[in-house]
Order: sequence, then structure tokens, then C-alpha cells
Amino acid sequence: MPFLSHGSHRIRYELDGPTDAPAYVLVNGLTQYSELWAAYRDALIGKGFRVATFDLLGQGASTKPELFISQHDQVEALEHLIEALGSGPIFLGGISFGALIALRYAILRSDRLSGLVPMSAFAEMSPQLLLLGNALRTGLILGGTSYLQDLLLPMNLSDAWLKPLLGNLDAVKRQGWLINDVYAVQNLMESFLDFEPLTPQLASIKTPTMILNGEFDFLTPRSLHETLRTHIADSSLVIVPNAYHAFTLEKAALTADLLARFAEDVLAGRWQGRQAVWIAPDEAGGEMTPFPAGFDHLRAIPVQRAAS
Amino acid sequence: MNPFLGPLDSLGRVPALQQTRVASFLVSLHGALARQLALTLPGQFNAGWQTELNTQLHRETEIVSLLLRATSWMPDIMVFYNTLIWEAAWVPTPTAGIADRRLATTIDIAALGHAAHGAIRPAALLPVEASTDDPFVAALRRIEFESSRLIQAQIYFLKSDELKSVRDAVGAAVNDRHRLVRKLWADVLESIGIKPRADDE
Repeated sequence: MPFLSHGSHRIRYELDGPTDAPAYVLVNGLTQYSELWAAYRDALIGKGFRVATFDLLGQGASTKPELFISQHDQVEALEHLIEALGSGPIFLGGISFGALIALRYAILRSDRLSGLVPMSAFAEMSPQLLLLGNALRTGLILGGTSYLQDLLLPMNLSDAWLKPLLGNLDAVKRQGWLINDVYAVQNLMESFLDFEPLTPQLASIKTPTMILNGEFDFLTPRSLHETLRTHIADSSLVIVPNAYHAFTLEKAALTADLLARFAEDVLAGRWQGRQAVWIAPDEAGGEMTPFPAGFDHLRAIPVQRAAS
Repeated sequence: MNPFLGPLDSLGRVPALQQTRVASFLVSLHGALARQLALTLPGQFNAGWQTELNTQLHRETEIVSLLLRATSWMPDIMVFYNTLIWEAAWVPTPTAGIADRRLATTIDIAALGHAAHGAIRPAALLPVEASTDDPFVAALRRIEFESSRLIQAQIYFLKSDELKSVRDAVGAAVNDRHRLVRKLWADVLESIGIKPRADDE
């Protein structure tokens, strides 16, 4: 189990694939750990990429600072990992809290990235997200990690994914429960106490950016992704059909394929963000569909877009 | 070395020596916290969060009482030596760099409470096959479940604006207590064939 040093902290990471290949760096969400990217590692290495994953400070086998974990520290840890990858092309993806860390890195080091993929992302705390975050924190305090998982599972995954696992949810939750400590997850949540919106800084991201948003994402809905699309010049918003907040877990094959195609397009000079809105295919390898012209992609029913 | 307690018997119970070592450590640690809270709790509270400390005092006592009754004890020649080591480790040490000696001692007691309820995950030692009806298994789960609430008073105090000016000293004290508690806990676990978690090493 390799570790990077960040001051007195240790960052546990995994690095696989050819050393001279373009690299994908993938950043976990809250309560996640490096192994959850295993399907991505296999798929992306199979397509000629190098893949780096790691445990955020406060999670998994990385150091769990006792009282405070700043988001700045997470960005610095990510920077250490990216520095360790050398000077080749870097594509950075992150899910949820990990997408926020990836955005922070991209704001500071857009020049170092060949591509950025924020997934289930946000740059500001809407009232709903703020109140949901507060409720999740209270759930963690009163019921521990297991209760937090009980709240996150139905909120972030589809019926189709949950139904066959209903009799075995304890097994699904166990690894996340084993490696996450309440005080450390609480510290990660409390890193939002002094949160300031990133929206005013998003325009500094010049990197090609593919924003992925689950069709039914309840925690970070379309409007939060729209902020990214409208402020990042070379971006496209891709809606992942029948997907919820944790679609990287539920639709790994499709998402890994989208990541690979995005990076291949960028490297081949084919990528054109144009702040367009797309609908991803249902399965890996399928066609991307432009969002129907004239309709409002922020609505859940087919409403004509207001003339601008 | 195994990451979990066991091998379990046919009824899903943890071996008696493992129960004895784990329970001895937890009784010593939570007993020390109960004594320290009993001695340091003010007679009159002046802030709402201090009511959590009153709850904690009684919960620490409950943990000791629970373990005394739920554990299948067996004679253990190491218990006297271990207890001496542990009890010496729990003695409050005023936090370095803080002039107010009473405050410095309070910070150390809170740091020990943070470590006891943050770094120690007794339920995470249980294999999935452990019997839900076994009192020792139920006790470990209950202790860990309560810890997420009991640590809150420590978190509130240690992260409070009141201590902002001495935050580095507070952070170092909490880090020291975590290291000490993790080390002693890892020693206990290794003595019964349990491998510590990667972040405890």
C-alpha cells in the first residue's frame, strides 16, 4: 500500500498503467475509498491510460486529522499526487466532494490539466444542499457512519440498483463503515463551515471540461451543474440517463467509457465544449445525443426554453 | 494476524481471552474518563454544551458497568501489568504551551476523550458472523454507537473559538493523545492476534 507524504500526513494512493501514458486522476466523494474506482482502473488501463486513485485526508487509509481538515489541504494532497505523475497529460475527474476538490485544483492549476471531469458537482451551496448537508451531519452524529450510509444509499442510487441488494445492504455498507471514522467524516463535512462559492473563480478554468450530471440527481441537481457549464468556457454538460448522484458506482462501465472518449477527443484535438448540453447513451459505446433544441434542460418536463 | 476478533465459537461468541483483554482496556480507559469528568465537572454549568459533559460522565460509567456484566472474563496474568501501563497513560498532563494550568489540564482530558471515542472502534473488530444475541458483541456495538455522540462535547470544546488562539497547542495535544491511545490499543490487539488498521500503524 503506497503512501505520499503531505507534511505530517500520509496519503494512501494507487497508481497503475503504463508510465508514459496519459493519466487519469480520480477523486473520491464523501465516505468513499480508492478501491471503489477498481472498474475504472481496469477499463481505462485497457484503453491505454494510466490511472491514479487515492484516499482523501480523513478517509480510508490516509491520515485522519483529528480536529480540522481544510479543503485547501485536500487540494495540496492532490497536487502532490499529480506532481508524482510527471509531465505527461493529466485528466482529472472527481465525484461530489471529490468534484469540488478537482474544481479547486483546476482553478489554481488549469495549466497543468489536459481535461477536467466534475461529476455530481457543485460550486456553491444552494439552500437545499446546505440543509441536506446539515441533516446528513446530524445523522452522522446521532447514528454514526452506518446511519449516514442509510441516508445516502436511497438518496443517491436507483431502485434498479438497490432492489436486488435489499436483503444484503449490510454487506454493501460494511467496507465503507469499517474504514470511515465518525470524527473524520465529520471534519470533512465541517470543512464547509467557512465555504465560499467558487462560482466567481470558475472562469479561470480554461481546460476542456466535461460535466457529468445524473438525470435524477437529488443531492446536486441540474441547476448546480448549470453553474459550471455557464462559467467554464470550454465545457459541455452531459446528462447521464436514469442516473442518481452516485452514478460512478452504479454505472461504472458507462462512466469509464465517457471518461475515455472525452480524453481521446481532447488528445486528438476533436473536443469542442461550446457549453453544449448532451445526453449520454444508456450503455457504454452508445451515441451521445444533443439535448433537444428549444427545450429547457433544467426542467424535468419538456418545457420550451424561454427566449433569451 | 487477523483484522477481526475470533475464531468465534459455534454460537458466534468471541474467545474469552480476547473478551478479557479488550474489556480490560476499555474499562480502564472509560473508567479513567468517568473519574476525570467526575472531578473536573463544574458544580454549576455556564454554557449549554456543558450539559453534554454531564451525559458523558454517566455514559462512561455505564460503559464500565456494561462491560463488567457483558464480558466472559477469564484469568489473565497480563491484566495487572497492562492496567499499570494504561492507568499511568491516562493521568492528565497539562497541555504544553498554555499558561492557565486548569485550562491546560481540561484540554488534555478532552483530548483523551476525543481519542477514546474517535480512535477506538470496538465494533469494527467484530466479524460479520458474530452473534447479535451475545452480550459482549452487543456491548461493543453499543459502545461504538454511543461514541459518535459522546465525542461531540470534546469536538465542540476543542474546536471552539475560545481555544482559537492556542489552536496549535490544542491540535498537538489531541494528536498526542490519539497516538498514545492508538498505540496502546494496537498493543492490546496484537497480543490477541489482531492486526491494527493501516491508519492505526
